Amino acid sequence: MSDRLKQWFAEQDQTPDAQAKSRALDVALNAFDEYHSGDVPKTDKVVTINSEQKKASIDQGLVTSDRPTSDNQPVGRRLMDATLSKIPTTASQRWLYSGLASAAMLVITVSLVMNIGPQVVDDALEGQPSPEQRLAMPDQADHDALAIEADAVTVRAARLDDRQAPELHSPAASRELLRASEERKVAALQQTQELQAIRVPKPVPSLANVHSAGGFSAELADALPQVPGYSEQGRDRFEHAESNPVKRVSQSPVSTFSIDVDTASYSFVRRQLNHGRLPQKDAVRLEEMVNYFPYDYPLPAHPGQPFSTTTTVLDSPWKAGNKLIHIGIKGYQLSAATQPRSNLVLLLDVSGSMNSPDKLPLVKQSMSMLLSRLQPEDTVSIVVYAGAAGIVLEPTQVQDRQTILSALNKLQAGGSTAGGEGIQLAYQLAENHFVKDGVNRIILATDGDFNVGIHNPEQLQGFVERKRQSGIYLSVLGFGQGNYHDQLMQALAQNGNGVAAYIDTVSEAQKVLVDEATSSLFPIASDVKIQVEFNPDSVSEYRLLGYETRMLAEEDFNNDAVDAGDIGAGHTVTALYEITPIGSDSGVYSASRYTQTDPPGANADEYGFLQLRYKLPGESKSRLISQPIQRDQRTEGTLKREADFATAVAGFAQLLQGGKYTGDWGYEDALKMALANRGDDVFGYRSELVQLMRKAEVANDL
Amino acid sequence: MTRDLDAIIRQAQSGDRTAFAGLIDDHYEMMFRFAHKYCGNRPDAEDVTQLACIKVARSLGQFRFEARFTTWLYRLVLNCARDFYKAQHSHEASTWPETAMNDGSEPKVLLHQVLKLVECMGEGFRETLALVIGEGLTHAEAAEVLAVKESTVSWRLHEVRKRLKADVGQIGEYGGGA
Repeated sequence: MSDRLKQWFAEQDQTPDAQAKSRALDVALNAFDEYHSGDVPKTDKVVTINSEQKKASIDQGLVTSDRPTSDNQPVGRRLMDATLSKIPTTASQRWLYSGLASAAMLVITVSLVMNIGPQVVDDALEGQPSPEQRLAMPDQADHDALAIEADAVTVRAARLDDRQAPELHSPAASRELLRASEERKVAALQQTQELQAIRVPKPVPSLANVHSAGGFSAELADALPQVPGYSEQGRDRFEHAESNPVKRVSQSPVSTFSIDVDTASYSFVRRQLNHGRLPQKDAVRLEEMVNYFPYDYPLPAHPGQPFSTTTTVLDSPWKAGNKLIHIGIKGYQLSAATQPRSNLVLLLDVSGSMNSPDKLPLVKQSMSMLLSRLQPEDTVSIVVYAGAAGIVLEPTQVQDRQTILSALNKLQAGGSTAGGEGIQLAYQLAENHFVKDGVNRIILATDGDFNVGIHNPEQLQGFVERKRQSGIYLSVLGFGQGNYHDQLMQALAQNGNGVAAYIDTVSEAQKVLVDEATSSLFPIASDVKIQVEFNPDSVSEYRLLGYETRMLAEEDFNNDAVDAGDIGAGHTVTALYEITPIGSDSGVYSASRYTQTDPPGANADEYGFLQLRYKLPGESKSRLISQPIQRDQRTEGTLKREADFATAVAGFAQLLQGGKYTGDWGYEDALKMALANRGDDVFGYRSELVQLMRKAEVANDL
Repeated sequence: MTRDLDAIIRQAQSGDRTAFAGLIDDHYEMMFRFAHKYCGNRPDAEDVTQLACIKVARSLGQFRFEARFTTWLYRLVLNCARDFYKAQHSHEASTWPETAMNDGSEPKVLLHQVLKLVECMGEGFRETLALVIGEGLTHAEAAEVLAVKESTVSWRLHEVRKRLKADVGQIGEYGGGA
């Protein structure tokens, strides 16, 4: 019989969950730090079974008390008195707080488990003999017991949803009951969180997964959009990048950067503003805001060159005397007939964290929209990942639309997030069905929380970078907020030659996947780099607006091995420089006493020289476009309007970033400028920006 | 115990964060495995292991190299598991069958029933079973972890066997293989 038992023991799945492990490690490290920083008094007590048992009997006493039964002892009052009356030493104060916190948390958790409303919790708190009794004798053993108890409660609070979720499924429970219990749960969970904040300074990582229990289905989440058990806040991660500084032409006349067609930043900013708050400064990337909008730049003159470049010189609206150099690039548009065949692998995150109306359901909707823009012979396959990755749909031709749609609709969210594994699987699938002369692309839809498998950003990035050589592109669509890992998303898309976009609404999905499907899907030029050499005879200072994360070294421009951004069919890319012409006193540097000013050279009528390098898809040798930027390159009409609008967006982005260079120029000026240059605005994107500017103005005043 | 481990423990004891992280990293699986055997289900085992990790952080200084580190860890995990169940005994009854049934895998359900039955026999039986049958420790090793005599371990296992045989009717097909 022992053998049989042994076998049963062995048959349990005992591989530790990597997420649980890292969570435990985090918490342990916190405890370790706390211990070694002296927060917890060090003790010489040896842990023996006996001392544990002693502690355990104390625990028992405490736990009995948390049963929500009525108790005649007027303990609550005494507890209050203890709180209000002067407590002799700070040390005992701490005992009091930790005692209160852990006792209250216990009561709340227990009541949660039993689905008891907050009012009962209060009653139970009233009849709480133990913590108060402990206060009388705050000795070492006691403190230990309290600490352990608090930990136990922390852990349990994190698991509550796991426990309750199955109950929600019970067919007997009516919708009404569900709603009521959910509401109570939310209220109580908030309390738990507040209490937890007292005990643990940083949010306990395990809390993050409360909602990832995977208990209730996406349908239920749809039905109850107002009660998202637990929503994460303030855990969006952005990389910090300092704004590009003003540079002296005499010291560094050459500026080199890679183009960037991502738009994620704008959507994120929009989401924040629509909630009536200013976005985090790091979330604002000027170039992504500017490039969100399609611009009406002239189309390429001849098809041999995949895109056109135009330069315009404008007056700087925020600094009199300064000029703006506007560089506009427009890729040629593919007609449906010339659209290459595509092999798309949709890599969808179905982890528990995607269980929110603005995540998985929106992903499903977006993906079905995308189908409308594909040719019947194109193939789509679906790989999902949560705790593990799996193929949901083998490559299927788009004409078999129904199969694809039903596979999409079956998806449900639940579990942890093995994003790394998912990416590997998706690449494998894309390679197996590689379409030569076509577009092979993985579209990753996620909220960015990769917490299982390869989740080290550098490692993932390295993997994606190696795979890029095989001709498979990776585009990243970000969803949701609260725990959005922008940095990782950017890194993946940049290294995978893809586009990063952030999808917060159905209309954004429409923009990215339908209206701009061709540019999102079909690259026409890759590794596009821009280099501008300023003319020291006519320009004294310059500053590149945005592109902070895309700066390249001067020598990288001619090095074809250095990766840069890609341009899709019909894409427009805009870059702006703010310059101070020689002789203007609008610069930030004071004039140098010793630098000789040479008499103007032969090219004094040029501000600088623009060079562009790009590779045609599949080629490894770059081509060069170069043209001078004329001093009097002023334009009227459409191009001027487009450049002005881009300037308004760039100004707006700078204001959101803190307005280091914009002086007195404010949201109102940006608004006027954008309003005046809206143009046709077929899709209404520009009108939307105007609304956002209004909201920013209001949010800024708050 | 190897020299290296000793050195790492000493480093961690003196406050070396990396050494401590490495120590937890290396032993997490072992702790979790044992917790899983004792608890019989994953969520509880994860929580117990997390508590145990916290406890290691706090009481590593008390490890005196008198016993093997793994023995010390077993004891620590066990204590955490006991505390954990004591702290939530008020709703334990409702938790057990639920988690067991959700999974649906048969050995899991059966193991639950066995563990539950053994738990009812009194103190020390469940941990003895988990250590000897589950982890494959010798009676002497288990005795060291539990701080009891070796003969006590043997006696407990004997009692468990007797009890399980007697309860053939209660635990379905279990008796068939006995």
